[in-house]
Amino acid sequence: MVLSRYEILSRMKGDIDRPGRLVITPLLYKDEDDVFDADSVDLRLGCHFLLPKALDQPFFSPDKTSVSSLYVRAHIPMGHFLVVPAHQTILGATLEFIKLPEDVSGQVLTKSSVARTFIVVETAPWIHPEYRGCLTLEIANVSNTPVLLYPGRRTCQLILMNVGGQDGQQPPGAAAAHGGGVKSGTTYFGPVYPEGPKFKDPQDDLLDIGVTRVSTLRRGELRRQKGRWIDEACEPQDNRRARRFRLPQ
Amino acid sequence: MPTGLADVLHDASVLHRFVDFIGEYCRQQKRSQTYVGSAAVFFQYVEQLAAGIQDELRREMERATRGTPRLSTLRRNMRTYRGYLRLLHALIKPAADAHSLTIPGPLVDLASQQLQKVDGMTGSRLLILLTTEFIYFQRPHTDVKGQARKVEEFIPGASFPPKLGFIEIPYSQGPSFFTNLAIYHEIGHFVYEELSNRNPPHAGFRSLALVKDRCLKGTFNRRSLVHTGTHNAIRAGRNRQALALAERMLENWTQEIFCDLFALRLIEPAFSFALIEMIGMLGVSPTQLLRFDPDHPAPACRFAQHVKLLQDDSWWSEIQGLQAEQRQFLQESASIPTRRYQFFVDENHRGPRRLLDAFVTDLTPAIRELVCQLTSRAAPSVERFRRTRSDIQGSFRAGVVPLTDTSDRRDPVCIINAAFCFYLTAVPDVIKRFERAGNENNVTVHCEWKDRVEMWTMKGIEDSQVMQRYKDVRRNGPF
Repeated sequence: MVLSRYEILSRMKGDIDRPGRLVITPLLYKDEDDVFDADSVDLRLGCHFLLPKALDQPFFSPDKTSVSSLYVRAHIPMGHFLVVPAHQTILGATLEFIKLPEDVSGQVLTKSSVARTFIVVETAPWIHPEYRGCLTLEIANVSNTPVLLYPGRRTCQLILMNVGGQDGQQPPGAAAAHGGGVKSGTTYFGPVYPEGPKFKDPQDDLLDIGVTRVSTLRRGELRRQKGRWIDEACEPQDNRRARRFRLPQ
Repeated sequence: MPTGLADVLHDASVLHRFVDFIGEYCRQQKRSQTYVGSAAVFFQYVEQLAAGIQDELRREMERATRGTPRLSTLRRNMRTYRGYLRLLHALIKPAADAHSLTIPGPLVDLASQQLQKVDGMTGSRLLILLTTEFIYFQRPHTDVKGQARKVEEFIPGASFPPKLGFIEIPYSQGPSFFTNLAIYHEIGHFVYEELSNRNPPHAGFRSLALVKDRCLKGTFNRRSLVHTGTHNAIRAGRNRQALALAERMLENWTQEIFCDLFALRLIEPAFSFALIEMIGMLGVSPTQLLRFDPDHPAPACRFAQHVKLLQDDSWWSEIQGLQAEQRQFLQESASIPTRRYQFFVDENHRGPRRLLDAFVTDLTPAIRELVCQLTSRAAPSVERFRRTRSDIQGSFRAGVVPLTDTSDRRDPVCIINAAFCFYLTAVPDVIKRFERAGNENNVTVHCEWKDRVEMWTMKGIEDSQVMQRYKDVRRNGPF
């Protein structure tokens, strides 16, 4: 069931540790109508972005070390703007920090007025119960012209839903199951800036399902030797080691 | 071509190219990065200066080739420009490096706002520089401003931004939050330099100078400085040297204590904790703790002054029960009797004990009084801290940034202090709550959580500034 404005507001009151407590901060409004609809709350664009950058290799490999090569960070203070080129996607974050209670999940949607400028916010819009942090937004400009984004403007809307257990019971995996709190582990916990993805190396992921041979794409250096080019990356490790330590006859 | 003109033309074109590079560099930085503080104002100034110098060089060379050579004047002017540009050259790159992604912007913004409330500092600005040294430092600005004034005579279109202070941050500490609270001490140096060098100097600094003079008089017998006979003349000469040295040392100590107390008045105990963290990173031995040197008072003496001021401001009672070694260290350092302080003018030679005693007993209360007088409008309220502390820490404990949209306004200084206390004592609790069992002693996990607390603190300050601005607009109507 989608939470109503009344339900959202009542869950935002009281002690921060109260079960069911929802946090959306800072919410800037004079009248509730400024940011609340009957069943949603508007969120503003924050000041930090991750912009795609030209890679230093001809492909992107979703592994542990390559993620940092995909983006360049940018900070746009309020009052300034960011230009999103045509057909490009960037990562931004909401100004608001969200904490969902254990029985609520959410969905982020583009505000309709923004969508009508051919800007699409979020392609992975689901937010799980007990999520904490500013929401990372994938913002795509699908139009043929560059578009300006102003941090601080209302950009997307958050819709909250009750995660019902059987017969009104607390849903499985909620706070009680963990002895009173979510476990952060390696997931996204409490970010205040947009975050890039966190991947394991593919071989580690695949090993979990029993795959023990994994292809990789490596770029080594070519070395000219005896009139032909040797690819160091493809040369067997053992041969190289043996040659390096070969003693004079 | 008149004699010497070719040489001057060559020099002028070399200078012209140099200035061209500097101007273009500043333009590019402004375009490619965003800056907090007053970097944009500074870059704008350098651009204007560069354009002005280029115009001036072109004009003068045209005049010279038309047959009215004033080559010696032109050479002299070029020397002045070169000297000044050398000074600016050392500032431009560190300022360009200190953009909003490499320094804690919300903290710099907060410090700039607080500075406006310090007596005599309205309209002042901060320029942050990233340095390769592992120290926080305020680069003295009097010399730069003196040279800027000289250059302004020839380039009237470029006037140096008034009341601009240069604060250096070690590049490795740029994005971290708590250690960067040390910038408040450096801002103290800026305030000291600005107000004591003002013409006429600030009244409070005139009174402080009188107390300093009394301390010196008490230590050195003035009669021994009077020249009578050959033997006495040598002694008098030595004494005069000693007096000059003592005067310099007293000035250095005064300034250091002033800056510490200034920082404390603006951010209260969080500054003491930050200083202890810094000292911990640099490593100070127990002997060094008690030792005055010509540049710095003993750390123990500094911490004793911290505790006195915190007690006077009623903040001490708020942190007295904190179960952190930083608080304990602060308390222990403050309780060391002053007679145990030592004073060495160099590695092996002790300095006059009377000077140290006069400093501790006569001068430090006067410094405290002056700082309180200057910061009476800028000091945060301990009452608000008392009211909001547990809520702020409760937010951290729940894994949430400090809430700012509450009926009780979250003062940024309260957020900083509550966060620092939390950072020092409660990180293991949140690790236990949110991390998988077995991670309690994992150093990487601890680092991640300390990063988180710092990030959330910064976000809390940013939010509180956004909220304040929003409320101001609501209260006063749109601009």
